[in-house]
Amino acid sequence: MSDVADLFAGLVEDIDAVVLFSPAASFHERFVPVDGAVTIVAGEKNTVGADRFVEVPLTFTNVRDRVEFALGAAVENDLIEEGDEALCAVGVFGDDIDTVSRVRADDSLRSGLYDLFMHSRAEPGVIRNVLEVAIDLGKKGQKGKPVGALFVVGDAGNVMNKSRPLSYNPFEKSHVHVGDPIVNVMLKEFSRLDGAFVISDSGKIVSAYRYLEPAAEGVDIPKGLGARHMAAGAITRDTNATGIVLSESDGLVRGFKGGELVLEIDPEEY
Amino acid sequence: MVFGDSIVADVLAFLAQPIVIALATLVAFVVLGYFVGRLNERLLTALNVDAAVEGTAFERTATGLGSSTVEVIARLSSWFVYGIGVLVALYIVGVLEPTLFWQEVTRLVPQLFVAVFVLLVGVIAGDKADVVITERMRSVKLPEVTLVGTVVKYSIIYVAVLIALGQIGVATGALLVLLGSYFFGLVVLSAVACRDLLASGAAGLYLFLNQPYGIGDTVRIGDRSGVVQEVELFVTRIENDGEEFIVPNRTVFEDGASRLRG
Repeated sequence: MSDVADLFAGLVEDIDAVVLFSPAASFHERFVPVDGAVTIVAGEKNTVGADRFVEVPLTFTNVRDRVEFALGAAVENDLIEEGDEALCAVGVFGDDIDTVSRVRADDSLRSGLYDLFMHSRAEPGVIRNVLEVAIDLGKKGQKGKPVGALFVVGDAGNVMNKSRPLSYNPFEKSHVHVGDPIVNVMLKEFSRLDGAFVISDSGKIVSAYRYLEPAAEGVDIPKGLGARHMAAGAITRDTNATGIVLSESDGLVRGFKGGELVLEIDPEEY
Repeated sequence: MVFGDSIVADVLAFLAQPIVIALATLVAFVVLGYFVGRLNERLLTALNVDAAVEGTAFERTATGLGSSTVEVIARLSSWFVYGIGVLVALYIVGVLEPTLFWQEVTRLVPQLFVAVFVLLVGVIAGDKADVVITERMRSVKLPEVTLVGTVVKYSIIYVAVLIALGQIGVATGALLVLLGSYFFGLVVLSAVACRDLLASGAAGLYLFLNQPYGIGDTVRIGDRSGVVQEVELFVTRIENDGEEFIVPNRTVFEDGASRLRG
């Protein structure tokens, strides 16, 4: 005999954690914790005042990304342990929670996205701002035409020493940071220039127009990606920087760390 | 014609009675007061005072009583004009003899009004300062940090109370001495505590404006050398073989910095 109740019982059995994704305040108040499982709230901001909270700084439309990021953060903050079974309640079709999935927090979850944000040299907020610029640029392009761009974030001193200027640096003697609205417009305007943007750990835009010349041996990125991606992979292998690339040909935003491709997102999904 | 003349004379005689003049004056002052209040309300709204006082305890109390800060201040100015009107009217009727006592009262009323106004502004400004400081310091996860806002708030209110008391002629000498020593202590303490910070900040300003070295340059500051990773207002971060030095900017001025060209 197997009915819907059995199906759910199987999902809930022996879980170690319940992760609620951006729950409504009223729902969170009424929610009764499951015996033997911790309740964790995940979202952009802790609006419900939960005791256990993990921050998900980007609104991923891809549920897998969202769950992976939150579980990675939960493991990192010692809210759950590796190998724990978590019940994730997410809103896929609307803002309210409508989907439940059972996920095991293991090694594969900790790769990629969470790593890119939290274990980069640059501050998480800076990475988010750069990602947002890249996603925005990918959506709209420069004056309607698709553009490519390469941002090298963090470890700027070493990056500058492993690159040379292609032309005069428009950001010389300026003190502008990513995230200021006017600066985002400037970055978009300058994206038609060739070369890379170099951004420091704290988000200061150090230079545009940089030709990166790292040693490219041992860089293992998928075949078929262009020179921009190769340069990003190589510079992140040679320094502690994080590379964020907007591809001109397929319009995807990719993140590189330690010479490897760790993130691939489609701007149209945000 | 005689008939008409007498009516006019009667009317004039009636109008010349002190009580009628007094009433007319009162009405004039009430109208004036009303318009002054309205004008003030408009002015304060145009100056965005209602937005500025948002979140203060005073505004919350006013809202709780079905009013707002702007309205309270506008009403206050209206009532001030009404009060003058009443006094003037009473003089005209002759109820009030121009004795010394009443002269004093007439002199005191405007001062009292100013005192109340200063007190109001002080309380609101103190509240606002508290709100702004607490907001700014929200990222500092330290419970005691709310103390800073409270201290600033009560300092502002204290000064406002002093001014108000000074307005109505209360002797505030001792309180002034207290205020003086308080500020003296504050200035001396912060000067001593922030000496290094101020020196570094001034040096950092020079580094920002002139940029003798930038991110990516190899420099030696004092006995530390490495690649510049970040130039901030107070410190310069230089890195050498995985070791990151956080050098206060004042060392750049004290010991000098050398750029190493490789």
